[in-house]
Amino acid sequence: MLKARATLRLAALMAVSVAVLSLGAMALQYRLVATRLTLAQKELLSADLRGLGALYEQRRIIALRQAIDYRAASGGEELLLLTDREGRILAGTESSWPAEVAPEGAGFDLSTPQEITRDTERWLVVARELPGGFGLLAGRPLAPVDATLAALRRGMIGLALALLAAAALVGWVAARQVMGRIGRLNRLADQVAAGDLEARLPGPRRADEFGLLETHMHHMLDRIASLNRATHRLSDTIAHEMRTPLNRLATRLSEIEGQEEKVSQLREEMRGAIRIFDSLLDISRAEADQGSGGGLLPVDLSALAEGVWELYEALAEDKGLIPAATIAPDLMVLGDRTLISQMLANVMDNAIKYCAPGDRLTLTLTAGPLHILEIADSGPGLPEGMGEDVFERFTRAGRDRARGIRGHGLGLALVRAIAMRHGAKLSLPGVEKGLTIRLEWQPLASG
Amino acid sequence: MCLTRPLSCSESGRIMTDRILIIEDDPDIAAAVAGEVVALGCEPTHRDTLESGIAEAGAGDYRVIVLDRMLPGGDGVAAMAQIRAGGSRAMILVLSALGRAAERVEGLEKGADDYLPKPYEPEELRARLRALLRRGAIQVADNDLMAFGDLEIRLKARTVHVKRTHVPVSPREFALITFFARNSGHVVTRMQLLESVWNLHFDPGTNVVDVHVGRLRRKLEEAGAHMIRSVRGEGYLFAQNGGDAGGA
Repeated sequence: MLKARATLRLAALMAVSVAVLSLGAMALQYRLVATRLTLAQKELLSADLRGLGALYEQRRIIALRQAIDYRAASGGEELLLLTDREGRILAGTESSWPAEVAPEGAGFDLSTPQEITRDTERWLVVARELPGGFGLLAGRPLAPVDATLAALRRGMIGLALALLAAAALVGWVAARQVMGRIGRLNRLADQVAAGDLEARLPGPRRADEFGLLETHMHHMLDRIASLNRATHRLSDTIAHEMRTPLNRLATRLSEIEGQEEKVSQLREEMRGAIRIFDSLLDISRAEADQGSGGGLLPVDLSALAEGVWELYEALAEDKGLIPAATIAPDLMVLGDRTLISQMLANVMDNAIKYCAPGDRLTLTLTAGPLHILEIADSGPGLPEGMGEDVFERFTRAGRDRARGIRGHGLGLALVRAIAMRHGAKLSLPGVEKGLTIRLEWQPLASG
Repeated sequence: MCLTRPLSCSESGRIMTDRILIIEDDPDIAAAVAGEVVALGCEPTHRDTLESGIAEAGAGDYRVIVLDRMLPGGDGVAAMAQIRAGGSRAMILVLSALGRAAERVEGLEKGADDYLPKPYEPEELRARLRALLRRGAIQVADNDLMAFGDLEIRLKARTVHVKRTHVPVSPREFALITFFARNSGHVVTRMQLLESVWNLHFDPGTNVVDVHVGRLRRKLEEAGAHMIRSVRGEGYLFAQNGGDAGGA
């Protein structure tokens, strides 16, 4: 499964932003409603006070007392209370003066309203001390406001949950769609990276930006494949154009009689030229095929190492070297039999070429998380500061020419190209004397 | 006494001349190959396109087909299946400018009996053609014992005796001497040995093969059998009397 974290993050961000914006709008609305409703209750309280004020203007306390008695009897929702200077109740909807309310001022206006809580309900009240020490309390309940706001809150929470769920669902569906389309492209890219240049997406292209991207990718792959074919054709053509005249030359050489020595030398020169040329083509081909598993089969690395070792051991002995091999049996890797043999032969040949009689030459192949193949010699090693440059094409140590060692600096370049073709790690571990070449192979379970 | 009597073209040609088909677009090379074929005592036929070559292979009774790869009409290696489908039982020798190890292995895996890269040396072509002709002609009577004068090779027991004395040889040396014995009287080249005895299809550059042949040769000579001699610029000859029989 493709882990498209970026797509999911984007979808989640969009869902959350939409939800937050909606919730913000709802909160604004809520505040507006709360203000409006409270204002309405204040208006009612103000009207009550104005009415009571008018009655007080006419007949003072008596009129107030009558009006409050009347209101209390008719059972309105407002709160009214009138007390004498001792605090005794003269008239009212309540049986006692609320302890938390202290009278303020003497006017019949809405200045200094107070909020109190009675039996869990909120009230908006105005308390006055009228001339003569009479207490007046007028109030309106805030309970209808609270009930409306509670209902509004419930509705909003439900809506917010629904909104979040909807946003998450839409985000998920969108992300899945995008991930699906991108996943297709990624799978194609993986296939191509694995070496299958001919891989293409099945089915028709849709007329959207993803479809366009798929079409662009196909065009790109077509172009790469055609360039690759052209490169292969070119190397074949070069081979043909160079080998055919050399072939005529070889035929003519065999017609020369009586100069066997010269003919033999010329032939050896020709073979050398072909070898250089083949090595160059082998290197470019191995580099071009690098990373692609195409053409690689399970091979017995132990058997290949054994075979090449056996071929070169005799040569090493004849040159007076001391050869020794330790090869763990049955180690399988994914590879090309001929290329691996060629690589090992090049390393062995190189080691034997540089070693002098009495030098050691060893090959070890050990099993492990990575199979390690080492070819070590106690020869002259690399010149100071050469290091991994030795694997570059046409790199030769200056001292070689002086010592009369022939070569073109392609053997180890081919070794590196073949190692890369197989995904094997090539390194030069530091050693006290001589040169050690180490190759680390990804193992393949045998059987 | 030699029980596996190899036949060469000239020997079998006394009864009926062997025919060799050359499918090659370069007239110079075709003429050179035809020259070698005639030198072997066989009758060459030349076709210069793949199409006419395939048709001819099906029509005539050829022992060997020398097939180029980059031909007008396509790749010779790709056409081998068609040649076989056409009923030809000829041995196929691919002779091509596509001579890298990978290409040789590809050709052999796709059914070629042998693969010789250009530029080839005439001796190499001759040796390989002869080996192919012989491969088709060897009559296996008793495949266990191969005897050459004092030298006896027992295939099942994998032993070598000279004048009844056992000569110890390594498994590789045994494979080497058997290959020599099967091609006795004819020059075998180093590349042939590398391909047949070591199953390696690249030119290692150094003469690693010489060391192995040298060791086998010394062992045989110490035991009194002077059978292997090197042929300058060509390879080796395995024959009785130090190769005086001469086949090259």
